[in-house]
Amino acid sequence: MNYQEFKKIKILTTSFISAIVAIAVVYDNIILALAGVLIGVLFLFLVRKKTKIILVDERIQIIAGRAARLTYVISTVIIAFLSLIFVGIGRQTGEADYETLGIILSYITLFSVASYSLSYKYFSKKYGETNDEQD
Amino acid sequence: MARQTTNKIKIYRAMRDMTQEELADKAGVTRQTIIAIEKNKYVPSLELAFKIAKVFNETIEKIFEYQNDSK
Repeated sequence: MNYQEFKKIKILTTSFISAIVAIAVVYDNIILALAGVLIGVLFLFLVRKKTKIILVDERIQIIAGRAARLTYVISTVIIAFLSLIFVGIGRQTGEADYETLGIILSYITLFSVASYSLSYKYFSKKYGETNDEQD
Repeated sequence: MARQTTNKIKIYRAMRDMTQEELADKAGVTRQTIIAIEKNKYVPSLELAFKIAKVFNETIEKIFEYQNDSK
């Protein structure tokens, strides 16, 4: 199997999952949706494991890392702004729902920043950061 | 000051009649990565640079060149 064939299988599997989820939504059947997603993910996992071709290398990892960082920055800033807006609206109008939503969003922002900081610290230690003095 | 790492992978590949796919397989990366390195859009890690040099049975300095142009 080459990379193009793997790509075709990936597209077909994604289409299959989408179709199953769409049918499950129409028939209001959550088990069907979960089964479809599970089978699709499992199938892709097995194909990935069986295939001999290289799917991930250092360039792809760098791209994924940068994309993840950009996504983190954009989503965290947007959620933080939304939380401020909702808290502000809630306090001005006196509607507790808006303020609660704002507070929940601010906690999500805090969780996002904390998990980023922790994972950054973990990988920083893993890849050699040390406080040892230079000889 | 412009710094750039250039390489002669394309030349060495042509000399050995090797395709990008073959080089990618031997170096353990995807073909897209070889294309990116050849076009100087991606600078490989030291490990990958050594692997590529080993595939061509050459030293790393012969394949990769670091230019430090002072303007």
